[in-house]
Amino acid sequence: MSRSMANRFTPYMFMAPAAVIMAIALLYPLGYMVWGSFRDWNPSQTIGEAEFVGLKNYITLWNDPNFRESLGVTLRFAFFVVTFEMVIGVGLALLLDRDIRGMSVLRTMFILPMMIAPVVVGLMWRYMYHPTVGTFNRFLDGWGLPKIDWLGQHALGSVIIADIWQWTPFIFILSLAALQSLPRSALEAARIDGATPWQQIIHIKLPLMMPVLIVTGLLRLIDAFKVLEVILVMTEGGPGLSTEILALRISRTATEFRELGVAAAMSNYLLMLLLLLTVTMFGFTRWQEARAARIRAAVEEDA
Amino acid sequence: MATRYERQHPAFYALITLLVVMSVGPVLLMFINSFKLDVDIISGATGLIFLPTIQNYETALCDVLWYEPEHIDFCSLKFGGAFINSLIIALISTVLTLVIGCMAAYALVRFRFMGRDTVSLTTLMVRMVPPAVLLVPVFGLWNNEFCLDRDGLIGGLIRDTFGGRGDVCLAGTHSGIILIYVAMNLPFVIWILQSFIVQVPRSLEEAARVDGAGPFQVFFLVVLPLIKPGLAAAAIFTFRIAWNEYLLASALSDRNTKTVPILIVNNMSEFNVEWGVIMATGMLLAIPPIIFTLFASRQIITGMTAGAVKG
Amino acid sequence: MKLTLKSGALGITTAALMAGTALANPYADYEGTTLIVNFPAHPHYDAVMQILPEFTAQTGIEVEVDQLPYLKMRERQTLELAQDEGEYDLIAYVVFSKADYVYADQLENLAKYFMNPKLADPGYDAADLIDGYVYNIGFAGGDRGYLSGATGSLFGLPYGSETSVLGYRKDIFEKHGLDVPETYEEMLALACQIPELEPGMGGLSSRAASGHHAAHAFLLHLNPLGGAIFDENWEPVVNNAEGVAAAEALKQIVDCGPEGAVNFGFGEALGAFLNGDTAMFLDTTIVAGQIDDPDKSQVVGQVGWALHPMGTERASQTGGFGIGIPANAENKEAAFLLMQWLTSKEGDKLVAMAGGNPSRFSTHADAEVNAKFPHMATFGEALQYADPDWRPIIPTWGKINADLGTTLSKVLTEGLDIQEALDGVATRARATMDEAGYYTWN
Repeated sequence: MSRSMANRFTPYMFMAPAAVIMAIALLYPLGYMVWGSFRDWNPSQTIGEAEFVGLKNYITLWNDPNFRESLGVTLRFAFFVVTFEMVIGVGLALLLDRDIRGMSVLRTMFILPMMIAPVVVGLMWRYMYHPTVGTFNRFLDGWGLPKIDWLGQHALGSVIIADIWQWTPFIFILSLAALQSLPRSALEAARIDGATPWQQIIHIKLPLMMPVLIVTGLLRLIDAFKVLEVILVMTEGGPGLSTEILALRISRTATEFRELGVAAAMSNYLLMLLLLLTVTMFGFTRWQEARAARIRAAVEEDA
Repeated sequence: MATRYERQHPAFYALITLLVVMSVGPVLLMFINSFKLDVDIISGATGLIFLPTIQNYETALCDVLWYEPEHIDFCSLKFGGAFINSLIIALISTVLTLVIGCMAAYALVRFRFMGRDTVSLTTLMVRMVPPAVLLVPVFGLWNNEFCLDRDGLIGGLIRDTFGGRGDVCLAGTHSGIILIYVAMNLPFVIWILQSFIVQVPRSLEEAARVDGAGPFQVFFLVVLPLIKPGLAAAAIFTFRIAWNEYLLASALSDRNTKTVPILIVNNMSEFNVEWGVIMATGMLLAIPPIIFTLFASRQIITGMTAGAVKG
Repeated sequence: MKLTLKSGALGITTAALMAGTALANPYADYEGTTLIVNFPAHPHYDAVMQILPEFTAQTGIEVEVDQLPYLKMRERQTLELAQDEGEYDLIAYVVFSKADYVYADQLENLAKYFMNPKLADPGYDAADLIDGYVYNIGFAGGDRGYLSGATGSLFGLPYGSETSVLGYRKDIFEKHGLDVPETYEEMLALACQIPELEPGMGGLSSRAASGHHAAHAFLLHLNPLGGAIFDENWEPVVNNAEGVAAAEALKQIVDCGPEGAVNFGFGEALGAFLNGDTAMFLDTTIVAGQIDDPDKSQVVGQVGWALHPMGTERASQTGGFGIGIPANAENKEAAFLLMQWLTSKEGDKLVAMAGGNPSRFSTHADAEVNAKFPHMATFGEALQYADPDWRPIIPTWGKINADLGTTLSKVLTEGLDIQEALDGVATRARATMDEAGYYTWN
């Protein structure tokens, strides 16, 4: 084989294993799922034996109040989780962006929650929320306060709190990194001009951090739709459907109700939703990046 | 170092203490409870005054202990086996993902070739696919389609060597779970490593090529050593997902290939919530991630920033 | 004279024959076989785990157990039973799986094993098995399709079956001079009276969590209060006055129950009772072992047992598990031997002594068992009222059950109107039944 031939094939040889695995284990399954979503399919059949029913699964789901409620829960969960985590995470980053002793130790402690298995996180919180033996209610009781029915009446809120505990550090660390890479000159200039700390934050730091913040938010948003294990262990979707996010409903439909076709259709709805979100956010990012570049240029010009 | 630290307001330290307590507290609580008897956990003999016992760990690890703990009648948990399964699956899938992902990332950064943009875009898109979406197809494919006929050549050979019944399918094997983990993690690994490979100076590679090294030699001998921090970060993230994942593993594993998260969820059986043992198993599952956090937090943070800032 | 001689000779021959079979160990052919069995994580099967070594010692047949939580177990079985060749030789199945498995032809009909003289133990005494359990769990193909009857036959044997009884705190009842409730009215009144008498304590601990738990708790009250899910013609009647009464009973119980009751699964409900947070517990007989275990329970020795209170009639639930042989099993005959041994008089007593739920009348009456578990007599009495038809065991039940459970949970947590909720369940159930073809002949 000539050298140039080898060179032409090199990139393909580097790509091949990844391409093959992703084709077999990601793209083909996704296609298979779309195919299966048009069928009345239960787990003891192969897909070939399942009856073709056209769009029936999609229509059934669209008219199913339980599915809609679950969709609502998912959107509410994702919205609150991302909002709170962004506000708290960025806030803490702005607050803690100082040279203090032991910052690296602190950061180490903050990433601990993210590294631990969702299953374990779920069981820790399930214990802490336990109506009688749990840490929180014991604490409230000890102070003579009324107990709270955490996983009963306030299940969604409690689940959101657990997720905030686990993932706020992610946003905190990324925002801190972004803050520390800001051009010093711009901040210096603002300080000389006599800007108060608040003004610095609102007019300089936040706009300059925006591209990173948007990407971070987007990543969290996508991840918020992936959450399943924590909720599964904590509430199994209950009470009622109050914490049954779509991912959990897909898994229950497939295993408990034994309706693979419907579960596949539901998966497709979820995918479409995510796709829509991603595309919107990408467009937005492009636009924001352009704007941030303009601001940066303007600020540096001033300096 | 002679860095002078700023003196801060006391409230500031109070806040930091609070944050630390909040992030580490639940883990500590689990750690403490894993040394308590169920009666102590439930009765709420509060705080730290209790007689620590390793009974929960004995119950959890009964299948690998060399002695028979006297408080259990029979060994039902088989945590040791699950732990080994988890190790096998997480380690092999991490290594495979890294090697394959590295090569792909290198190709995407360094070569212009047909289909490059498609690959790049696809990689980006599949990153958002939630595992739950893969549940149905993977369940169907791994159980029914990705099979070898047991009367066939290879299938027959496998059945003769390893025993078992029915057609040889991916479901219920370590390989089946590893395959889906590798596929799931590849997009992320490719993405994160791209940002590290870009920083490798082209001149180094060209110098090596002038010295007569082939493309694979350049890759393994020149590029790989230079992106070690990136590899470490990617390895930790991949391992973390493979080690912690529950949903797909539970759909694909059988009684011999159960991983630890499955065992923990199964053990929260509704008839008998044994908090002590559950906390002990949770603690055991959390040990590797805790070790990583303590010893490689720098790499984790680098990886997170690289993945997001470029993402 | 001649006659006696003849019968005497016959007796000797029989004796010789029996000695012969006893010598030729019926298990000999299967020695060294390893059976793979699938059991639920359940107190009864925990007791079974303790007696299995005895089976291996007697027969030389090894048993490898795959123990899973029961909903997981069902998922696993769905998959395994559909294969051409399955892994499991013997499975324990939840009552409501019976319909699916038998309908899909996945369980062995047991007739051919009981007909096989080499396998069937002549001393088995099938009449001693609790008939309510056998009809509920083992039979299919008779009345209404899922019960025993002229066209029915046997596909499994009850094992780890249970009925409902009322557990109450003797100390609390004595302290306030309360009477053990005989009827639903008394029980409901007590359930709400106790939190007033004993601040901080709930009345009755019940499951209520979304899904199967809530549905189960509702069904527990439905039959005693005279209701049913379907009428004779499979028309849903769950939304009639009796159904509403049952849902109201459930709501009242949960409202007066311990803290967090709306989210209780079985484990939490039992946990609350074990922890002394409630004064009564109305659910399965399976819990007796744990209540007497000082490692788990704070109320050892303080619990009395009574029959499931009477509404318009006495009807305690029947449920739990049965064991059967999958049609795709490898070692069916050895599996039958294990099944027979487990449910034999000897095996049943062993498992009862280890804390399991016996499935024979004789075991409930056994002096030794009663000495160890004094509650066994009450349980035996409860069995007389065990109702084999307390819920429909049909293939569509899983879906209706799930819907019922979620809807009821909404009643309990979100204050959905009971009539409206049950009307919804009935409408959706009718659609499901219609689709499955139950109205073809109407």
